[in-house]
Amino acid sequence: MGGRGVGEYTAVPGGIQETGRFERGPMADNAQEVALFRVEGLTKNYPMGEVTVHALRGVSLEVSAGEFLVILGPSGSGKSTLLNIIGGIDSPTDGRVFFRDEELSRYSESQLTRYRRRHIGFVFQFYNLMPNLTAQENVEMATEISVSPMDSREALRLVGLEARRDHFPSQLSGGEQQRVAIARAVAKQPEILLCDEPTGALDFETGKVVLEMLRHINEATGTTVIVITHNAAIGGMAHRVIRMMDGHVREIIENAERLTPSEIEW
Amino acid sequence: MNVLHKKLVRYLRANWGQALAIAAVITCGTATYISLASAHRNLELTRDTYYEKYRLADFFLMFEQAPMTAVFKIEGLDSVHEARGRIVKDVSLDVPGEEEPRTGRMVSMPDNPEPVLNDVALLSGRYFDKSAMNEVIVSEGFAKANHLALGDSIRATIEDSKHTLRIVGLGLSPEYVMMIRSAQELVPSPEKFGILWVSQSFAESAFDMNEACNEIVGTVDGSVPVKTVLDRAEEVLEPYGVYAKLERDDQISARFFADEIAGLAVSAKITPAIFLGVAALILLVLLNRMVRNERTEIGLLKAYGYTNLEVSGYYIQFSLFLAVLGCLGGFVAGELLANAMVKIYVRFYMFPLLRARVYPDILARSMGISIAFALAGALTAARHAARIQPAEAMRIEPPKSGTRTLLERFHAVWRRLSFTWKMIMRNVSRYRVRAGISVFGVMVSAGIMVVGFFTMDAMEFMIDYQFTETQREDVRVALQREMDEHALRDLLRYDAVRAGEPMLQYPFRIKTGWREKEVGVIGIPEDAQLHRLMDQEGRPVSVGASGIVLSDRLARELQVGPGATLVLEPLRGLGENEKEVTVRQVVSQYLGSSAYMNIHALSRLLDESFALNTALLQTHAGEARELSTALKDIRGIAAVELKEDMLANITRELQDSMAISNTFLLVFSGVIAFAIIYNATIVSLEERKRELASLRVLGFSKGEVGAIVYRENFLLAAAGGMLGLPFGMALCKLLVYAYDTELYRLPFHIEMSTFVWTVVMTAVFVSLANLAARRRIHQLDVVDVLKSRE
Repeated sequence: MGGRGVGEYTAVPGGIQETGRFERGPMADNAQEVALFRVEGLTKNYPMGEVTVHALRGVSLEVSAGEFLVILGPSGSGKSTLLNIIGGIDSPTDGRVFFRDEELSRYSESQLTRYRRRHIGFVFQFYNLMPNLTAQENVEMATEISVSPMDSREALRLVGLEARRDHFPSQLSGGEQQRVAIARAVAKQPEILLCDEPTGALDFETGKVVLEMLRHINEATGTTVIVITHNAAIGGMAHRVIRMMDGHVREIIENAERLTPSEIEW
Repeated sequence: MNVLHKKLVRYLRANWGQALAIAAVITCGTATYISLASAHRNLELTRDTYYEKYRLADFFLMFEQAPMTAVFKIEGLDSVHEARGRIVKDVSLDVPGEEEPRTGRMVSMPDNPEPVLNDVALLSGRYFDKSAMNEVIVSEGFAKANHLALGDSIRATIEDSKHTLRIVGLGLSPEYVMMIRSAQELVPSPEKFGILWVSQSFAESAFDMNEACNEIVGTVDGSVPVKTVLDRAEEVLEPYGVYAKLERDDQISARFFADEIAGLAVSAKITPAIFLGVAALILLVLLNRMVRNERTEIGLLKAYGYTNLEVSGYYIQFSLFLAVLGCLGGFVAGELLANAMVKIYVRFYMFPLLRARVYPDILARSMGISIAFALAGALTAARHAARIQPAEAMRIEPPKSGTRTLLERFHAVWRRLSFTWKMIMRNVSRYRVRAGISVFGVMVSAGIMVVGFFTMDAMEFMIDYQFTETQREDVRVALQREMDEHALRDLLRYDAVRAGEPMLQYPFRIKTGWREKEVGVIGIPEDAQLHRLMDQEGRPVSVGASGIVLSDRLARELQVGPGATLVLEPLRGLGENEKEVTVRQVVSQYLGSSAYMNIHALSRLLDESFALNTALLQTHAGEARELSTALKDIRGIAAVELKEDMLANITRELQDSMAISNTFLLVFSGVIAFAIIYNATIVSLEERKRELASLRVLGFSKGEVGAIVYRENFLLAAAGGMLGLPFGMALCKLLVYAYDTELYRLPFHIEMSTFVWTVVMTAVFVSLANLAARRRIHQLDVVDVLKSRE
């Protein structure tokens, strides 16, 4: 299954550039130049009945445009919370988040909605496809509200699933579902792709196919990709790896040599 | 069509049963609204145009006899616009081929056709010929019921001489829309009573009333209250024995008609609100569940940048769609129902132009109302959807905290419950609101059923009360005028007659303080057996030797009780002076509102020693019909009535019309009970999938898993049904209160069978809902459910 996907995918490498929205082009080498996000002293507390969970305890970091960033950490380290705040679906208890010059942490709900609509693409561990929409319609769900979306069939071709566009999620394998989810996220032509454990529910081979796609999207379109995972091996393919633990950033690693997904072993 | 629309369509296709059930409730609501509002509009329009076109008078003055010149005096009164004198008298008719006599109300009309007050709407044939006497226009219903056609002849006994009348026309009149002789009759009997319009010259010669009249009808310009006009007119006509003065609203046909129209207006507001309210509640449950089920999807949509409005809009569109779908069904059902109602109305009421029309504005309003209710039902769900935080929504929902039920405090009981029942009790207490709504829905449904059955009970009770308990005669003979005891003695000589009693009915004005009321006082013997009075407990009471007995309604209106003193003023020719009478007792009466006195005492009020104008006769078994045929040609007899026929007519008419309305009530209550239980079941199945699948894995059979669901439904339905009985009783009480009119009131009488039927039918409806949900339970894919993430 996965092999076929890759084959179709590599057969159309120019597909993304043809849509022509991304003038920045491939940015793998000058990734550090523009700060896309700046996070300062971010904390997040969840009151859970009697106790308060401290998901983030003062996190500061910067994300550059065009970067492929992997945030590593065990469950409960706060990585999902950080991703959600960056993605504008959660707000911090304290601290500030800047998207370029704009302070996200001051956005109203409707401003956040507009921000997500314009700039963000999400990929989740459990795909979160709409069960009663076909693959193509799931992609259209995203394209319909975007400013200059990719054609939905184009997006499916990108993930090698054009032939299965009329299938419902229940008729697709887990890997295929995740690829539809990626197509959906990419079809918006977002500037940032946020992936929460994208391979978490997938087997090894299928996971690699998905990662390969993320890498290609990053390189071909300059889309900033942030992947959170507990799988340290995936860190090898990132420009930078941020290790999180107990709501703190423990370590930031810059990879001098990046691995391709096919080289990753876990 | 955007993606969310597609999603909506798919959802509806997958859950069409639920969608249809909700739409059906909305259909019931809009259908009742459309039919009732259309009927209301139809009747009102008909009444207004009919009254105007055929010029129904504003007031009616009835008296013994006055010269025609009296009409000019009435016309001279302030505010009177126009007046007309006429002769109106009931005569006995002999229809060829029919054994029993009929009663005809002879109404005089000008010799030449002219647009007069209380005109005749000529449906076929022609007006009287000036030169020919003995020509008559007959009311259509009477002609039809007796198979009379143009050119046929009927014989009338007028003032003891026979006349042969030739039918030249068939007609209707705005003053006889409801064609009954008196308020004692609940329904018209078109074959027994009809109107005969005759020329003025004929009436004057036949009744020996040259240049005279016994009724003046007139219109006013409104500058003076009609009541004042009537008071002044009564003074003017004082020498001629005025016995009744009526405003249009008190005229019996107009009164019945107006009550009906007013009743429709009220029903058109209340009934649809019940159905649409229930639909809104079902939507509330369903949509809230949908929002909870689709929490992750909502979160995802929001994460992708869908606005709150777009996400909430999805749920709003869902209910809007059902509202529109239900409403379209309501258009069809409503028009069908409106047509059925027209059929009932043309049976009871006689008018020339009623037809069921489609009123676009009523349709539009029904759509608006159902949309409003559907939106109300969707509002909380939409709000919840808007409040969902995307980050939180995509996290797994924490398991519902297990709650202890109230029942668990009673250890002895709880311990004895089977596992199944424990689960049921837990589930009910976990989703209290939904359980509450199910109970409420079944309660409403059962309540409506109780009302449906109750109307039959009440009518049967009322008919039985009137025609078995109160009126115990077989034949009622109305005399043309007051006579002495010889008249009764003559009637008792017939072999068929087993017993007979005199009765004297006379109109009086009863006064107490500033209150006054014109009432027919009925005189009966102290030991009367053929016309019995009953107190509030249903025990027969005697009219006594002196004093007056009032019906409960009359007592209430006059605000008097036993011991009070009333002033009675006779309204017709007999009796000169007002006299004081003491209230002896109050009796229970459902039809009309009368007062009773000892016939001797009543005669004395009229300055007579003994008088009767009605004879009540009991015959030997099976001989009543023969007797009435024998009596029809006897001089001095105005009308002969067989109780058997009257009873059969009333029963038939009421049963037919009630069968229609009760069928609808039953269907409607069934739809409500089914829809609410079915929906609650599906919603609960959806959310307990894992729980039930786990049971299957543990070795429960499909039937056992089903039993948990079914039993819960029966438990809720039982609670709803139990509440529904008192709720229904309260609705009946309301109905009794609402229908307490001068013409009749409903007894608050509910048979045990009503409750039994309600319980049985509720069980049937719930069983149907269970049966419909059965498929879903059996289709539960155990593996699939357990494998997937919540």
